[in-house]
Amino acid sequence: MTLSFLEPTTLEEACSVLAGDEWGAKVISGGTAVVLMMRQGLIAPTTLVSLNNLEGLRGIELSSDGLRMGARTTLTGIASSAQVRSVAPSLAEACATVGNVRVRNLGTIGGNVAEADYASDPPAVLVSLDAVCTVVGPARTRLVPVADLITGFYTTSLEPGEIITAVTIPLFPDADVRYAYHRYVSGSSEDRPCVGVATAAEFDQGRVKDLRVVVGAVAPVPQRFDNIAREAIGTSLDAATRDHIASAYAAAIDPIEDARGSVWYRRRMVEVFVRKGLEGLVAP
Amino acid sequence: MTEGREVVLDVNGRRHTVLVADDEPLVLTLRDRLGLRSVRPTCGIGICGTCTIQVDGAVASSCLLLTRQVTGRSIRTSEGMVDSAGALSPIQQAFVDRGAYQCAYCIPGMVVTVDACLAENPDATLEEVREYLAGNLCRCGTYVNILDAVRSLVGGPPTRRSNATGQPGANTPPIETRDG
Amino acid sequence: MTAAEMVTVAQRSIGVDYPTPDARERVVGTLRYTVDHSVEGMAYGRLVRSPYPHALIDSIDTRAAAAMDGVMAVIAGADLVESDLVPHPYFGLARRDQPPLAIGKVRYAGDPVVLVVADTDSRARAAAAMVGVDYTELPYTVDPEEAAAPGAPVIHEEWPENQCGDWALHQGDVDAAMAGATHIFEGEYVSPPANALPFEPFVAVASWGESGLEIWTATQWPSAVQRELAHMFELGIDEVRVRVLPLGGGFGAKGQVKIEPLVAAASRLTGVPVRVEFDRDEVFLTTCKHPARVRIKTGVDADGNFIARDIDLVYNAGAYAGLSPSGVAQGMLRSPGPYRIPNVRLRSRGYYTNTVPSGSFRGAMTNQPAFAYESHTDEIAGELGIDPLALRLQNALRDGDVYAGGQLMHDVHFVDLLEEVAVAIDWAEPSPPAAPGKARGKGLGVILKTAAPGTRTEARVELNSDGTIHVHTSAVDMGQGLQGTLAQMVAHHIGAPYEMVTVSDPDTAVTGFDSMTAGSRTTFASGVAIHSAIETLRRKLAGLAAHQLGVGYEDIRHVAGGAVSGTGPVLSFADILAGAGLDSLSGEGTYQSPRSPALDHPGEVRGEVSVHWHQGAVAVEVEVDRETGRIEIVRCHGAAWAGRVINPTRARQQSEGSIIFGIGPALYEEMLVIDGQVANPNMSDYMIPSIVDIPMELTSTSLESDDEEAEIHGVGEMTIPAVAPAIANAVAAAVGVRVRRLPLTAERVLRAIEGHDRD
Repeated sequence: MTLSFLEPTTLEEACSVLAGDEWGAKVISGGTAVVLMMRQGLIAPTTLVSLNNLEGLRGIELSSDGLRMGARTTLTGIASSAQVRSVAPSLAEACATVGNVRVRNLGTIGGNVAEADYASDPPAVLVSLDAVCTVVGPARTRLVPVADLITGFYTTSLEPGEIITAVTIPLFPDADVRYAYHRYVSGSSEDRPCVGVATAAEFDQGRVKDLRVVVGAVAPVPQRFDNIAREAIGTSLDAATRDHIASAYAAAIDPIEDARGSVWYRRRMVEVFVRKGLEGLVAP
Repeated sequence: MTEGREVVLDVNGRRHTVLVADDEPLVLTLRDRLGLRSVRPTCGIGICGTCTIQVDGAVASSCLLLTRQVTGRSIRTSEGMVDSAGALSPIQQAFVDRGAYQCAYCIPGMVVTVDACLAENPDATLEEVREYLAGNLCRCGTYVNILDAVRSLVGGPPTRRSNATGQPGANTPPIETRDG
Repeated sequence: MTAAEMVTVAQRSIGVDYPTPDARERVVGTLRYTVDHSVEGMAYGRLVRSPYPHALIDSIDTRAAAAMDGVMAVIAGADLVESDLVPHPYFGLARRDQPPLAIGKVRYAGDPVVLVVADTDSRARAAAAMVGVDYTELPYTVDPEEAAAPGAPVIHEEWPENQCGDWALHQGDVDAAMAGATHIFEGEYVSPPANALPFEPFVAVASWGESGLEIWTATQWPSAVQRELAHMFELGIDEVRVRVLPLGGGFGAKGQVKIEPLVAAASRLTGVPVRVEFDRDEVFLTTCKHPARVRIKTGVDADGNFIARDIDLVYNAGAYAGLSPSGVAQGMLRSPGPYRIPNVRLRSRGYYTNTVPSGSFRGAMTNQPAFAYESHTDEIAGELGIDPLALRLQNALRDGDVYAGGQLMHDVHFVDLLEEVAVAIDWAEPSPPAAPGKARGKGLGVILKTAAPGTRTEARVELNSDGTIHVHTSAVDMGQGLQGTLAQMVAHHIGAPYEMVTVSDPDTAVTGFDSMTAGSRTTFASGVAIHSAIETLRRKLAGLAAHQLGVGYEDIRHVAGGAVSGTGPVLSFADILAGAGLDSLSGEGTYQSPRSPALDHPGEVRGEVSVHWHQGAVAVEVEVDRETGRIEIVRCHGAAWAGRVINPTRARQQSEGSIIFGIGPALYEEMLVIDGQVANPNMSDYMIPSIVDIPMELTSTSLESDDEEAEIHGVGEMTIPAVAPAIANAVAAAVGVRVRRLPLTAERVLRAIEGHDRD
């Protein structure tokens, strides 16, 4: 197998190579996912397009637009960022627990979203935060919510030639917002999670104004049911409300079955951890 | 592997010029071209940690890195932690002194990881180092002595131990059984 | 050094925590394993394996592969059969039923079919992908009881009922005793396949020359490799040279013959040295722990004494016999547990199935019955309202008791072991209240294991004129620090400083015979052989010393590091050798364990079944999350009977390492077989315990005799078998449910709590 490793210096060049060789060319960012999939025989690219030499894809910026993270910011970088910990603690938490420390040191937020691994922690949190990806292609730049970008098992809606350059989370600095991320691993501590629950709520004088609950690791894409979450609006997110939402989520989700949990078990864990996720929002 | 191109690698403080194929994993370059056998591929998927190296001080799985990705970055392995006079690093010495090895296939990766953890956070507690080591697996079950070695470096509460060897009953009080 | 100093030095060699001689190399990572070994001009082999559990091989198309760059050979089973160079293609330790490459049909998904040999590993891989094989699928079975039933697919023509071992043992009158018992308890306990998963993979390099075959291989059993290869190629034993470097883990998986016939045959057919290294998924597919189903029934009298036990064990041997035919006998002998039971009926059977061949595994054949009988003991205690510890103490074997089959027990310490572990976790104290939603409980397990019968170890101790001592043995270091431990024993017996002693790597051309480094036998067996070798050496030295001093042989007294006559000066070893004009002097010794005539009659085993008994116990405290079923081990203490400890740290590491090795299959590890395939042959879907999965309080005791000459007992596997039942018992204590199938996953526990069974 001849594999070429290219290091373009401009985005245009990178997009152009990718667009010109839809099946053979793949982006390599931190590389962990791509090299892994190559080793497992899941993909067989002939060209790897490294983003190593592109400027401006790393770094975290807080502005009126929100929290903007360059796509090549590492997961460790996000987990340890004082800014992220302050304004989006659930994302810092998720990035601090993905895989192991080696994966976090190399893995990037853009790469993580592009991989669309159903069992990875950040996507569920990003969806709960209404995160939006900046996607640059040969012809245009567009903004795509993470919820729309991840479409199935290891599948995204990225078109040929497109590269994620940033992930931005809208913020509401004047609002009373709270975030939580709960992750449950049913097996050994290093195993992939059975369930991940990301919650985010805005309160107004002790009453819920907006609530998002997103469940990951149980289905091909992060599971978010706003029609259920909306039932909390106006409540104080009391125990009865929390229990109701947790049960409704468990009933609404069609979980996968694998060694980490059967359908029955995952459904039950969805209920347990959605409840804990909501408790996490009202805990003192 | 296909014939490749010449790249310059900075490994253990020295520059090496090696011929590397574009798809060559770093673990193989380090082992086969540079003779650094402390770096070992075991799981092939970044889970076990026996291929752990430092890239600019950050631990990484060399089985999941292509050598082409790390040109221009500084790479460090366990061999590079022995000084020019042949003295082991304090971490390596602690592992030797506490018997923190059995078959030792995983140990260099442990050493490299502890080194990175303490460099990042010199005040790390035993519990923090333990969490940091969560992604370094050991099949022989050397974890207990590894924690002893770490404890000797960072301090921390000793584990309660029964007499490690001894005759029956010598060190233990008479047995009581519970009420049914 | 004066004679007095030498004596002091010698006395300090046993029971001292010397690091192994290669400690530095191990920690830095410069120690060489077989995976690091290369031979000039070697080629690389990659396998094509069967995707089907049972199928006929219709045709193999090698043309595309053979035409690729760098490819030197594409070899299939038929090529082995047709070649004069491989007179006997089948190998196996009990039955020669396994070919290096499938001949005519494949018997499990993963069975090797074709080997591509090329000048680089990546070229061999690329060519292997181009080999085409056509199969006709056959009906298959993965369950041993299904394989035993009439009409089951026949896996080996010579064994049409798929039988792979059938043993029975009777003592007393079980039926009468059961009829008279006050209580009868029954249970069925299931252990799935698991994998020893050594980190260094199976790897070997073979080359042929004028003196025959030389093979470097990561094996625990050089003599078996030698024997099987000699048979396969019709060579004299001396024409097969097996060389072994320290292993990157063995755990039983490397205690068999697996990769060597393939590599040796490939090298002979191609005429060049050939190296094969298995990928991680191939390690999963080469050998596994025996899955087993154990049915146990116990009759108990009004006072809580076990008066009768009836056990039926069914082991899944997988596609090839390995050691199963005799292994299932060992499982049977260990199945009553360390209890005094006058009436016993045991039946143990193995069956071929279309799955990964089962083989040696740390605690082999013992883990499965121990999970059964120790879970069962607690179930009995629970029903009778007796403290599980008290019930065990009451029924445990003591010296002078009779074991199943009629053997009188000696040097058994189960009571001491139980007391040791119980005290360590404060058995008499109830667990402190757990956090809301969680529950705590404590559990125990005590086990025994027979020693492998009919084994032999030869050792040669060579004294050099510079004072150094070299020990030749074919025992294999796989992380247990063997070379250090043997050096300590030699230093002790001969009276020399530890630093002067070196121990060889096994090399069958140079080092003596050793049955195997397995079954926790080596420290004991090698110790006996070495002691004997040193006695021989000392006799030779005494003879030389007597001659040099002009005294009678009987006037010579041995001291550490030398010999002396009466009140005369000490002649050091160096003096004696110099005086005789010798550069070196050797002594040889042998340990031979008796074979077990009791095992001559599989249908009626009776008599002495073990030369000594391995003994261990574990106590554990767990916390169970009632909402998720997940188990956390809060603390754990293991104890093993060591007799005499040579190196305290290493003995402790063996016990603690064993416990950790046991936690995996107890809680997490299972090879999932779906549609006849192993679905999780990787370390992400099959996870072993990490450093955060073990409790901070994980401790152990190696119990010793007060007799300095007491027999040494190996401790490499003594705590593993007790781990799973101790945890199951602790879970039962915590949440009142009993799980009888491993691993004890969170889901299984939650289902049991909710009465929502699935299995």
